[in-house]
Amino acid sequence: MKISRRTKGAAALAGVAAFALLATGCSSGGSSASSTGNSTDPITLSVTTFGTMGYDDLYKQYEQLHPNITINATNIDTGDNAKTDWQTKEAAGAGLPDVQAVEEGWLSAVMQVSDQFNDLSQYGANDIKDRWVPWKLAQATDAKGRIIGYGSDIGPEGLCYNSKDFAAAGLPTDRDQVAALFGGDNATWADYFKIGAQYKAATGKAFYDQSGFIWNAMVNQLKEGYYKTDGSLNVDGNAQLEALWTQLASATSSGLSANQTAWDWGKGKAFTDGSFSTFVCPGWMLGVVKGQVTSAGGDATSGWDFANVFPGGAANWGGSFLTVPTQSKHPQEAADLAAFLTNAQSQAAAFGVAGTFPSVTAAQTDPAVTGTNALSTFFNNAPIGTILAARAKNVVAQYKGPDDSVIQSQVFGPAIQEIDSGKADGPTAWNDAITLLNQLVVNK
Amino acid sequence: MTATLTPPQEQKPAAAAPATKPKVPFKHRLNRFDVKASPYFYIAPFFILFGLVGLFPLGYTFVVSLNKWNLLTGPGGFVGLANYGAELTDPFFWNSLFNTVSIFLLSAIPQLVIAVLIAAVLDQNIRNKTFWRMSVLIPYVVTPVAVTLIFSSAFDEKYGAINNLLQFFHLNPVMWKTETFPSHVAIATMVNWRWTGYNALILLAAMQAVPRDIYESAALDGAGAIRRFFSMTLPSIRPTMIFVIVTATVGGLQIFTEPKLFNPTTATPGGPQRQYQTTVLYLWDLAFNRQNFGKASAVAWMLFLIIVLFGVLNFVIGRRIASTEARSSKRKTAKVLAAYNTQKIDNEAAGALALTAAAEEKRS
Amino acid sequence: MTATVERPAAPQPKKPNQAIVPGTRTTRPKRRKPLGIDKRPGFLTYALLIVFFIGGTYPLYWSFIAGSSPSSVLTQTWPPLLPGGLFWQNVGQVMDTVPFWMSLLNSVIVSTVITISVVLFSTLAGYSFAKLKFRGREGLLIFVIATLAVPTQLGIIPLFMVMKQFGWTGTLGAVIVPTLVTAFGVFFMRQYLVDVIPEELIEAARVDGASMISTFWHVGIPAARPAMAILGLFTFMTAWTDYLWPLLVVPQNPTLQVALSQLQSAKYVDYSIVLAGAVLATVPLLILFILAGRQLVSGIMAGAVKG
Repeated sequence: MKISRRTKGAAALAGVAAFALLATGCSSGGSSASSTGNSTDPITLSVTTFGTMGYDDLYKQYEQLHPNITINATNIDTGDNAKTDWQTKEAAGAGLPDVQAVEEGWLSAVMQVSDQFNDLSQYGANDIKDRWVPWKLAQATDAKGRIIGYGSDIGPEGLCYNSKDFAAAGLPTDRDQVAALFGGDNATWADYFKIGAQYKAATGKAFYDQSGFIWNAMVNQLKEGYYKTDGSLNVDGNAQLEALWTQLASATSSGLSANQTAWDWGKGKAFTDGSFSTFVCPGWMLGVVKGQVTSAGGDATSGWDFANVFPGGAANWGGSFLTVPTQSKHPQEAADLAAFLTNAQSQAAAFGVAGTFPSVTAAQTDPAVTGTNALSTFFNNAPIGTILAARAKNVVAQYKGPDDSVIQSQVFGPAIQEIDSGKADGPTAWNDAITLLNQLVVNK
Repeated sequence: MTATLTPPQEQKPAAAAPATKPKVPFKHRLNRFDVKASPYFYIAPFFILFGLVGLFPLGYTFVVSLNKWNLLTGPGGFVGLANYGAELTDPFFWNSLFNTVSIFLLSAIPQLVIAVLIAAVLDQNIRNKTFWRMSVLIPYVVTPVAVTLIFSSAFDEKYGAINNLLQFFHLNPVMWKTETFPSHVAIATMVNWRWTGYNALILLAAMQAVPRDIYESAALDGAGAIRRFFSMTLPSIRPTMIFVIVTATVGGLQIFTEPKLFNPTTATPGGPQRQYQTTVLYLWDLAFNRQNFGKASAVAWMLFLIIVLFGVLNFVIGRRIASTEARSSKRKTAKVLAAYNTQKIDNEAAGALALTAAAEEKRS
Repeated sequence: MTATVERPAAPQPKKPNQAIVPGTRTTRPKRRKPLGIDKRPGFLTYALLIVFFIGGTYPLYWSFIAGSSPSSVLTQTWPPLLPGGLFWQNVGQVMDTVPFWMSLLNSVIVSTVITISVVLFSTLAGYSFAKLKFRGREGLLIFVIATLAVPTQLGIIPLFMVMKQFGWTGTLGAVIVPTLVTAFGVFFMRQYLVDVIPEELIEAARVDGASMISTFWHVGIPAARPAMAILGLFTFMTAWTDYLWPLLVVPQNPTLQVALSQLQSAKYVDYSIVLAGAVLATVPLLILFILAGRQLVSGIMAGAVKG
């Protein structure tokens, strides 16, 4: 569950963004083109991404800029599946692509074998390292000071809500009023669950799709999550974590969760039939929502909107990096491609398609991000870029330990499912999670 | 292993050189070398390759299982049988065995019943025999991956085809992907769909091998069609049925594709609480997700032993049933049948053929 | 494994084809008077056959309907009865997502090479065990039988490490090598050949001065042909459907099954595309089935009655 999959969704619409990009003039577009060394030999570069990264049209564009390069792109649904894929190929010593996307949740697993990735400083990283917000660059730097990845997006979280369902429940529908309803800058989870209870009372329907994403958000907001900053585990006996768990479990058992299957959502239908009315939305999730609604046959009229508020304060979920494994036969060209994909224009274009909020500072204020695009029209013309920029303030990078993604998906994932499906109450599910933790992480 | 080999009658050496000649001409020596060495050359490729890619890895699995061994960082020291000890006390291991056996039972039993039914229907004097026989085999050409993709969509909990139907008839939707028993039923359904027709043909062949005259004499004795089916057809195909079961066992104990692809959205392979995580899927998870080659090898070896055990068990049961039958028949018609069955024991090897053919196949 | 290899004491060789062609009821006597055993069955029988037929084909047809429609039909209570018009569009998306043609070609290469190898080496060894005399034959044959049920695929972990060592991962060779021979193939060919080739035929060839290999070529192979065809069919099917091992060693250069599963994990939002892919991937085997279905039926039934 942890991140993951940003749906492929609206890839076809990327064309619009690409045109917009060309129209805005590519004023500083030369930077990536100039760094390519040998531009005559025909080369095929393979790229593996996951979720919805919105790169499809950027690949085409890059191929046009570099006629000798062919890009062979593979996309994997979820970050978890991408991790297994990477791990198997890493172990096999073959099969890794030239450019491998790495999710924040398993970055520390990657860092354990960081010598298997090229130090991008040797391929021009030092010239561009001011692009990123400093903490993103720091995350991608290993213990020896090697830069092994270029940051792509970050995942500041806002609240998606369905204005039609809200109207039916007598709740406000305007996104500023909704933000205020949930408490604005001081929004808490208690507020969120209280409004959920009102909604449930008024409509008889669930408030959120399933509890897993809520839990992700709760944990990601903490200063220290599953690990302390010194690298030690921080789950068993963590009263703060357990209190949040209890809070979530009681809300869920009162019927606020629709117990949907995350990443499936009944092939998207649950997004269009009022099964739930709020949804945890990091930037990249906006592309997922759109993809789900579209696949169920819905469109912008399905009522989804995006509010500048998030219970419990600023939160970040996910975000990724582009790395160049040492298995690559063309590290220079691969690094150039990664640099291109993470430059301000590219990031802005990808945002317009997939909602992946850029970690590149220049892109955050790019008109393509702050203005309207294919995605913002889908969300009732919400200024999604501006909202996400606001949501990104105060986000702190939480230390992710080596088994962070395992804890998220295999320890708390099953426990969440237990409370969602009513198989267990909060305390039982917590104990089950601790048992799993001991089995999978502590005594592995 | 339990195999009885009755060697073929000795064959006279094809070209015995006259004993009077003291010197063997070169051509003869070459010929003799040809005769002596050729058989070894013919079997050598099999034994060499089989040793390299079949037996050596199995043996080496045991070596790995005695070590701490990480997927990415390699061997990390000898630990003796500790990996076995750890797995034998690991609830996930037992859970995987339980799931495997449960899915196996849910697939073997209904599969056998329906296959017998299909075979019985096909065994009649129907028109267009070949067409109908081929028609029951169609699911067999759909690969397990494709079968799983098709069925996993139909078994979706929310808005899946099957739950939609249930709800249409005002029944409660079934949690096919997150509850233990329903998920086993769903996976067994995929296995059954693909294999029932195949097994029906094996049983059909066994039914057809029953000589028609014993049916005729039974009919003369006044036994009706249903009576004939239960008192004659069923007993006479019992050995084949056992082989079908064993086939299903050897394949079923290694089931991987269906649980692996059944619900790709869960981060835990085999269901959120490992509801349908089978042993081979557990092995895969252990080796390639949790990076523990040592423990995964221990699991592989234990599974290996279990499969061999099942095989031996089957042989013993199969022989016993066959011989009891030969002894205990009393009725006139049954006697004919018994005589026929005693001959049939010879055919166990053939049953084994069918068995291994399918087992080979099922390993996906 | 649990096999009794017993050669009938009677020297009389069996009718060569009896073992392999099903439905030839040579033992069935001519009926003198009808006793109701083989009379034409009634309506119920055909009704049941039609039910089986629908049960066996509807899921495939249903996935074709879904694969040719927008994915929203998947959530309808009553799916449409007729296919929609989007099949080729969905197929186009399949091609965009996974290297379909390459994976199809990979599967053809892998399955063909494995089939040739298994059939060739099995026939050679089976012939040797069935018809040639050599020291250690019984022991070695027992060994073959004993390994029949050894699940060699449980050796994936060392195989995976070896493939890495040799740098074969990612190449089709890594998929092919572990299944170049099977004990089953050898046993199958031995069982078949032991009955169908009369000793006299081999002796005659030898007396004529034919070398061993030429005897094999001119006597063994022609006699073995039907069994080779069946062994080939099953080996091909097995190689074609294999999933676990190719998944581990060639994810970037997938076989059809691996590509299909990648389609699921790249596209499960658009399940109609996944199902279009499943249908498309079934087409090659359906064609094979139409061409060789009879032999497949014969092979399965022969496996059961052969003696």
